[in-house]
Amino acid sequence: MTALSVPFRRRTPASRGRRGFADRRARFWIYGLLTAFLLGSAFPLYWSFLVASRDNSILTEKIPPMLPGGNFLDNAARVFDTVPFWKAMGNSLIVGGVVTFTTVLFSTLAGFAFAKLRFRGRNALFVFVVATLAVPTQLGIIPLYIAMADYGWTGTLWAVMVPNLVTAIGVFWMRQYTVQVVPYELIEAARVDGCSMIRVYWHVCLPAVRPAAAFLAMFTFMMSWNDFMWPLIVLTPDNPTIQVALEKLQAGYYVDYSLVLAGTTLATIPILIILILLGRQIVAGIMQGAVKG
Amino acid sequence: MSETLARPVSRPPAPPPARPPTRLTFRQRLSIADVKVSPYLYIAPFFILFGIVGLFPLLFTAYTSLFDWELLDETGRFIGLENYAELLGDDQFWKTLTNTVSIFVLSSGPQIVVAVLLAAMLNTKLRATTGWRVGVLIPYVASLVAVGIIFGNLFGVQYGLINSILETLGLDRVNWQNDRFASHVAIAIMVNWRWTGYNTLIVLAAMQAIPRDLIEAAVIDGANAVRRFFSVVLPLLRPTLIFVVVTSTIGGLQIFTEPRVFTELPGSSNGGAENQFQTVTLYLYQAGFETGDLGYASAIAWVLFLVIIIIAVINFLLTKRIASTGEADR
Amino acid sequence: MRQLLIRAFTGAIALATVGAMTACGGDEGGGSANTGSTTPSNEPVELTIATFGEFGYEDLLIEYHNLHPNVTIKHNKVAQGGPFFTALQTKLRGGQAECIVGIEEGHLSEHLKNAQLFNNLEEIGPKDVTKDRWLSWKYEAAKAKNGSLIGYGTDIGPLAMAYRKDLLEAAGMKTDDASIKSMFATWDSFFAAGDQYVKATGKPWFDSASQVFNAMVNQLPNGYINKSDDQLAIESNADIKKAWDQVTAAVARGQSAKLTAFSPEWQNGFKAAAFATKTAPAWMLGVIEGNAGPENAGKWAVTDAFPNGGGNWGGSYLGVPKSCKTPQQAAELAAWLTAPEQQLKAFKAKKTFPSQVKALESPDLLNSTSEYFGGIKVGELYANMARKVGPPQYKGPGDASIQENATSPALQAVEQGKSAEEGWQQAVDAAKKIVK
Repeated sequence: MTALSVPFRRRTPASRGRRGFADRRARFWIYGLLTAFLLGSAFPLYWSFLVASRDNSILTEKIPPMLPGGNFLDNAARVFDTVPFWKAMGNSLIVGGVVTFTTVLFSTLAGFAFAKLRFRGRNALFVFVVATLAVPTQLGIIPLYIAMADYGWTGTLWAVMVPNLVTAIGVFWMRQYTVQVVPYELIEAARVDGCSMIRVYWHVCLPAVRPAAAFLAMFTFMMSWNDFMWPLIVLTPDNPTIQVALEKLQAGYYVDYSLVLAGTTLATIPILIILILLGRQIVAGIMQGAVKG
Repeated sequence: MSETLARPVSRPPAPPPARPPTRLTFRQRLSIADVKVSPYLYIAPFFILFGIVGLFPLLFTAYTSLFDWELLDETGRFIGLENYAELLGDDQFWKTLTNTVSIFVLSSGPQIVVAVLLAAMLNTKLRATTGWRVGVLIPYVASLVAVGIIFGNLFGVQYGLINSILETLGLDRVNWQNDRFASHVAIAIMVNWRWTGYNTLIVLAAMQAIPRDLIEAAVIDGANAVRRFFSVVLPLLRPTLIFVVVTSTIGGLQIFTEPRVFTELPGSSNGGAENQFQTVTLYLYQAGFETGDLGYASAIAWVLFLVIIIIAVINFLLTKRIASTGEADR
Repeated sequence: MRQLLIRAFTGAIALATVGAMTACGGDEGGGSANTGSTTPSNEPVELTIATFGEFGYEDLLIEYHNLHPNVTIKHNKVAQGGPFFTALQTKLRGGQAECIVGIEEGHLSEHLKNAQLFNNLEEIGPKDVTKDRWLSWKYEAAKAKNGSLIGYGTDIGPLAMAYRKDLLEAAGMKTDDASIKSMFATWDSFFAAGDQYVKATGKPWFDSASQVFNAMVNQLPNGYINKSDDQLAIESNADIKKAWDQVTAAVARGQSAKLTAFSPEWQNGFKAAAFATKTAPAWMLGVIEGNAGPENAGKWAVTDAFPNGGGNWGGSYLGVPKSCKTPQQAAELAAWLTAPEQQLKAFKAKKTFPSQVKALESPDLLNSTSEYFGGIKVGELYANMARKVGPPQYKGPGDASIQENATSPALQAVEQGKSAEEGWQQAVDAAKKIVK
């Protein structure tokens, strides 16, 4: 399947090996800056894990302790007692999986068409797609709810999935990436070989845009996973997504932050796994394409 | 449909046009149909979905913006463009627009520059490549509940960690909530924290797709790293940079979640005691759901839409210029 | 290999989707069993109920189902009032609200404005449920202008004054019962005591200006909105301005800790002893206990005195929206839940303070105590305070929004250094925008 792919990105083995002192110093800076950035990125999350592993009192301390306490499992157990965690997790996986799959599929298709095929109204339609991004969505929930109620989808996972089956941002992103990486020559060659359009898409375009598609998948899944207000409105309590379920941890006037943050920490684990799996794709996709070519 | 519309490259090996039309084989016909219809089929899912779930909300808001319409009423009173006229004279609207642009400038600008630099660093040969790449995206996995609690506590005026550190260092406390500019900075930090890694990976994905030969050719030509970056890499990143700039512009001007969870009073859309960090989207949410003035809120939504389009087009043109080369295609 | 993975993935999604859809199909079937209000009481019926926070109804709903096996109940529970209210508005607008919905006192004015969306419970409710079940102020507050009763009262938040006994003593103030009661007899005496405390300790007296101001305004005979014409009364009502002047003057004298209620900073303030008094409705005791933590046990006290009489903050109602297809059955359930016996059980489960006259006389309630607050009989204390609440003030359209988005932010601005007059102007301007 990939045998046909990407002969256009060839890596020549030249220009390696001249690695002197200046180079080493540059690397030192790069590692230093990246580490600093990573620490800054990870600290707030680590801090939320700190609270989850201790109790609320950590919030009052001027400089909180920097090592986790021993309460995380207790707090986690309370989370499982309070919310239908696994059911919600399952729902979120279904919704996230479906939405991610269709968004990537439809976005890569549309991106391919907008980037590499000529058809009447192409530019206008593309501008339209991007313009839909600029519509503020806050008020949209009322008409969208009315529409969903009309279709009879409220209370079902359809109501959460359907509005996100394909997104303008996905189409926009795949179009921009496809413009850059898929050369016309390759499409032409495939056409001359008698490939139908869909085969050109599948054999030429898709392998080339895989890193971008993997990124889109990651992004889409996380968006879906962290969505809150819309699922809260359209889903019923016996059928929640994970963020809706976690909201229950904030019942009452007194908020136990260690409990809430234990819940959010637990809910983060699946996306961390997906992040790592798909993160490899972003890198591996490129390498593979290059090697097989 | 005329023949000129089909891409020459994707045209099937058709008979020369000079010859009198011969009968095309079934296969050839199929191929032509394939070329003509496929693009529409491929983009159809987006437009069908838009028809199902996107169009009605859009028309609904456009329609209600012409009415004096309470949130829960079945009908409204037609008032034409009065909502829009009122909006232009509304001090709070202008204040929220200023806040929005201020937060946007403080966040999107630095964010894109840092994202490009980080991507350039990540694009060098590193140990544990995947680890670093995944690492920059970590903030993005945080749920909004967590983000609100975390930053609410970090930026607390009296007991927050950041002010405690400032004090320990012998500096003055910053009134993150009530000082207008400080609150914008705090929110911009939240935004940048969440989104810089995301933009970094986008730029990185595009950088990796740049053929090595091009860069190596520049190396052979004797271009140094900085020159290589500006004259070879940046122009090739243009489509992606346009994506990043346009989406950050749109996202930045619609910013809603961060100022909302930053607000001290849980669930409030006020954006502080004097609306010092209320953004336009917060204002329109407040007008719609709290004041219950659906018509007015719809008018805000449409004016914001226009503002976003204008700024996005300006930024698009600027980016196109900055990252321009001879290549004609966007 | 990769192909295989993709295929497996697609297959899994397809399977998962089918699973999700069949589950949904089941729901639809259940919903269609609703056959309208003429259903005889033994035919199967499905009711949905939406609540927020803790109503304490979990066990009661099971009990009701056991009493009426034909009634199945779905409980839609949201933790926070804010998102709940947004969702409820959206559902009401879409005509798909639950059959019984919780209405928070703070949002009551918004719902009364749209009373047409709710059934009049006096019409459709069981005839043996009459207004003497509830405290009269609680009952009357849920009546719309057209006389329709949009909700049955569940719980209430009668106000008392909580204070740090140890801090008052340290400031050289008398903390015997009589002295405390006279200290909290009127707002004048409350602010005078504040001056004394600030002078002695240099520390603030109360947590937040709006927490005091809202209680003061709520006690007035007339509120932000005129009952006669629903016009804004914030400028014409001299009592409101008087309360404003009193509170802002106290702020100027250093009495406010300037903390925004329910913010993380405010929560920390309890531990840090940032203030010595707290206006405390019944449900606030749990908040104080949670925020101040075990290390401050016994330091906080609460007394059955509140400046200028009494007041109420919080508490809820159960309403039956018009969109419900089985309104009579819904009203029956709502009536049963809000009966004194059931509300007492809810009180035991989640400390929601009942609004029913009989429940307030129950020994179970009267004898309940709080260890954290020095073993005082809190049930009896708050039952007394509940009876001191005056007739309900008219809450016209926009009332809640004015409190949340006009006066509270303006008071916060004054706490941050704005002059009292400028702050007042800010509040008035904001209120004018809300009530156009």
